[in-house]
Amino acid sequence: MKKIVRVDMSDLSVKTEPLPEKWSRYGGRALTDAIVFSEVPPAADPLGPENKLVFAPGILGGTTAPNGGRLSAGAKSPLTGGIKESNSGGQAAHALAKLGIAALVIEGAPADKDARYLIKIASDGSVSLERVDEWAGAGNYAVADGIKQKMGDVKRYATITIGPAGEMGMKMAGIAVSDPDGYPNRFCGRGGLGAVMGSKGVKAIVIVDEGLPTVEHADRDAFNAAVKKFAAALREHAVTGQGLPTYGTNILANIINEAGGYPTRNFSSGRFELVENISGEKQREVTLERGGNVKHGCHTGCVIQCSRYWVDKDGSYLTKGPEYESVWSLGADCGIGDLDDVAALDRACGDIGIDTIETGVMLGVYMESGRLAFGDGKGALRLLEEEVRKGTDLGRILGDGAEATGKAFGVKRIPVVKHQGLPAYDPRPIQGIGVTYATSPMGADHTAGYSITANVLNVGGSVDPLKPDGQAELSKGLQIATGMLDSMGLCIFVAFAVLDIPAAFDAIFEMATAHTGQKWDADALMELGKETLAMERLYNEAVGFKAEDDRLPRFFYEEKLPPHEAVFSVPESDLDAVFDFVPETAAKMGISKPGA
Amino acid sequence: MRVELALFASLRRYLPDGGDGHEQTIDLPDGTTVGQVISMLGLPDEPRVVFVNGRHAHDEQPLHDGDRLAVFPPVAGG
Repeated sequence: MKKIVRVDMSDLSVKTEPLPEKWSRYGGRALTDAIVFSEVPPAADPLGPENKLVFAPGILGGTTAPNGGRLSAGAKSPLTGGIKESNSGGQAAHALAKLGIAALVIEGAPADKDARYLIKIASDGSVSLERVDEWAGAGNYAVADGIKQKMGDVKRYATITIGPAGEMGMKMAGIAVSDPDGYPNRFCGRGGLGAVMGSKGVKAIVIVDEGLPTVEHADRDAFNAAVKKFAAALREHAVTGQGLPTYGTNILANIINEAGGYPTRNFSSGRFELVENISGEKQREVTLERGGNVKHGCHTGCVIQCSRYWVDKDGSYLTKGPEYESVWSLGADCGIGDLDDVAALDRACGDIGIDTIETGVMLGVYMESGRLAFGDGKGALRLLEEEVRKGTDLGRILGDGAEATGKAFGVKRIPVVKHQGLPAYDPRPIQGIGVTYATSPMGADHTAGYSITANVLNVGGSVDPLKPDGQAELSKGLQIATGMLDSMGLCIFVAFAVLDIPAAFDAIFEMATAHTGQKWDADALMELGKETLAMERLYNEAVGFKAEDDRLPRFFYEEKLPPHEAVFSVPESDLDAVFDFVPETAAKMGISKPGA
Repeated sequence: MRVELALFASLRRYLPDGGDGHEQTIDLPDGTTVGQVISMLGLPDEPRVVFVNGRHAHDEQPLHDGDRLAVFPPVAGG
């Protein structure tokens, strides 16, 4: 029987309860959504005791399902003000699932604001809290070292930690999750959930899974057969079998730049003249020269292996990747064309515990204000280390992200939707992703409905990126499918294979059926995606989001982006139709507004 | 006519000049199509993504003087 573990930070009590029957088909994003939807009042202060921080492995967590170890973190977001699910790789999801934990819920807030806690979940399932006030202000890497010392002979465990930004309640604070080597370099980055964890007084969580087997299946043979089928499809597809493992996510830099959609210097151009210096090809070349690792999984069971480690000029580990989004945000968006500068910024973000996308977008906006020159990588690093990490007056403004920074310094072009910074694809020449940015309950988030597939990459069909036609349908289908993948606990990169190979899609419901013993089929998968989105939309409606919040900032409709001189032109009626299924889905679920 | 050719990722080694770069300007007879250039380069018969001047292009599309032709293997990330 799966369970929910609740840690109440107001009285430091721990409760364990069975996963309620009504949520027995939920995991990952669907489950974090369901708990936030049911238990966090829409009017709650995101950094107050009424908010809850939920960690959930997916339905396939703890199994050998390929790429099935993603972690969902959910709460009311201090950045967007709406419901948030922030998704990470790393080892924590499998560890929680192996302990039978469907969700870890951190509630309340400690009376003593100076207290810092380590929550430890032992391999027998027991939960204990320890004061770690001496870790106050420590970066994620120092905390990881501190945990290692405490663990002594125990070698197999996963960590979930925050850096100083989370402790200070900064709206761009993320939550770090340890990778298979124990580095705290995987992130629930988006939406300020690190600040929620900080508001609970929780500095770190350690989950020990030493000696624990993978979870049991209703039908082991059928499960193994479906796993084999799914893994074969991932290895067969050119993107998941060759492109991603060879070059990593930053393989995208050149193609997005070629398409004219690589946002440069705070979204003022769609091409970056220094892209070659920060491309995935260059990154691979330099990493190999320096003896870095160019291919590994971010979690056990990953068959795609797109992760890599960046090493400094002496060959010492500095940071993971850096990933495409981070190279773009900390690179092109700031006019920075040097991978060592980018990697130094990426490491600083990882240690301070801030979202690389929001940080880069913030820096681009700050540079546009004229206070720092575009291209000044050293100056950007100084801002992060001397201002944000130390929480100076300036650092606290910057630490609240792109919108807060733009407003404070009078910048007109602020690329945010629902207060969250846009990722690495300009929505003017790539209009399908603009629909996702505009309408996703998450705020501007590329992963919520990755229209780059059909718009640019010719994966899962082809939709002309420069025209408004078909973009809303494309985004809608992908948002529903993503809600499902995030709930299964699957990495969204499996979608590249799933969109092109029908057997891969079938393998998902076959794995779910054989694992859970419940009946899953294609329709049930899509229904799961719809239910996830329905809870999110209804929650955001109750918070006060309206149709006008499902829009891009005005400049995307008015300022033409070179080289295609494109503006965003998807009609508002198309945007408003993306979630037309919500009333019907909500009626089927028997929900209408947040609450039990 | 002169066309700027750019080959990326695993396709870089098919650049006619055989250098370390990924871009080269090539001379072509007027009216040469995208498909003809691809077959001239000897690119493997595998899926690819092709752009002319930053827009998706088909094999039958004729090239013009000053065009930029960019060819990628299947890639994705994010």
